[in-house]
Amino acid sequence: MAFFQFASAQKNLLARDENNKYIYYQIVDRPGVSADSLGKQAAGFIKSFFSTSKAIISNDTILSVKGYFETYSVLAFAKHESGKITFTFSFESRANKYRFWLTDFVFTPYERNRYGQFVPVIGRDIALEQSDIKIDKKELEGYLDQTGSYCQDLGARLKLYVVQDHQSKKGAATEQVKKITTKNW
Amino acid sequence: MPADTGKVGTGADPKDPPLILFGSVDTYWKDDFSGKANIPTSFGNEQNSISIGFVDLGVKKKVGKASFVGELSFGPRSDQSIPTSGYHIQNLYVSYDVTDKFNLTAGYLSTFIGYEVISPVANFNYSTSYLFTNGPFQNAGFKATYAFSDKVSLMAGIFNNYWNTYTSFVTHGANTTSGDVSTFGAQLTVTPAKGWTAYLNLATGPYSGTEFDLTTAYQITDAFKLGLNAADFSAPNNGGGFSGIALYPQLAVSKVVTLGLRGEYFNFKNGGGDVTAFTFSSNIKAGAITLIPEIRLDTKSAAFPTSFVDSNGASTNSATQFLIAAVYAF
Repeated sequence: MAFFQFASAQKNLLARDENNKYIYYQIVDRPGVSADSLGKQAAGFIKSFFSTSKAIISNDTILSVKGYFETYSVLAFAKHESGKITFTFSFESRANKYRFWLTDFVFTPYERNRYGQFVPVIGRDIALEQSDIKIDKKELEGYLDQTGSYCQDLGARLKLYVVQDHQSKKGAATEQVKKITTKNW
Repeated sequence: MPADTGKVGTGADPKDPPLILFGSVDTYWKDDFSGKANIPTSFGNEQNSISIGFVDLGVKKKVGKASFVGELSFGPRSDQSIPTSGYHIQNLYVSYDVTDKFNLTAGYLSTFIGYEVISPVANFNYSTSYLFTNGPFQNAGFKATYAFSDKVSLMAGIFNNYWNTYTSFVTHGANTTSGDVSTFGAQLTVTPAKGWTAYLNLATGPYSGTEFDLTTAYQITDAFKLGLNAADFSAPNNGGGFSGIALYPQLAVSKVVTLGLRGEYFNFKNGGGDVTAFTFSSNIKAGAITLIPEIRLDTKSAAFPTSFVDSNGASTNSATQFLIAAVYAF
């Protein structure tokens, strides 16, 4: 992750990494929190947020997981699922800070089946970087916007989880049952 | 397009999706080169006329593990595809995910049999095959689907005694006042390789007969897809039936244009004649509209029950038609 070239709405939140792949990358300061503690909080977040995916845990401070989110059509007036974008979420922590990034975005278009359900088109997986030659330009811009928005939302939820988890543990350690005496009043 | 029993995956953020509206409208013009409508397959039958298919309106919602789909249609394509015209219902069912891998569904559903479907949105060719025309359109029933893995799943269910009926019904002369739910259906879904899915289907019952069906599609390269449908139907009480096979090669030549051919052989049992049909279609995307120009040549045997005539009104064994359709999907 040495350098990023920013692409240009919400899609501006995405950058390109050194391999020219789309990436959403953030470094977040958490003063006073150890790397291990941040790693455990991230593992808890992954377990709750990516409920059906299995995280790959390299050690206490490096984690990654595969996930997906559904995109919605930007061309049709009625909102419905138009595809899904799979991605890899990676997390790394050090003392007082953590970083995370989402990359390997692959778009799979949906088609309507006989039951009125929108399901993946079998065998159509398109890397987001190559989508411009396979997807309508306006449609692609909409998906990039949705990707940026999803990443931003995921980052905000991670931050909230880390803060709340840390506060709850801190609170749990110091929490005592309040005692009241009825003799003096 | 091939059947699909639902979605299985590793999703993030399991928020309930919003109320979804979906549907389509379609219109077409067809000209049989004889000047008379010859080809008898479903829909798109009106000769030299700017005609309409249907307006199809669906709504669906999922909350937690429970979901429903309601899909209504209006127009000639609707009238030709549903049992009771006043009902206008294509799909009406409720569904419950007992677990991530086990689903229960009940109601009136598009059939799980076959490659082609009623909605033009999910078909590549606008005209339909003989296998589709003669097979079931819908089955009302209750089914359970279990995904053994992301490569294998099995559906089994019980359905009303006849195809394409909103309710089971009593046959003339039957010694009972009620219909029954006597058709058994099953679908084995297998994904042998990335991009390749196959469905092995069975529907059998004492009133509805027995149909075996194989539907498969393989996206061999980014641009080339090959589909296949083969089926054998035996009517009850040795009442004949049909069998046939259709191939669907399709080639995407740009991100807006795909060319495709349907080659079909179909025959009625007990000497009922056969027919071979070739349909060359193109799908040209313009936003939400798909333009489908198509040319079709059918050649039948003398015993085939439908008569073809030439431009002089004389009997012939071949028919050729050109059709252009526009389908707007939302």
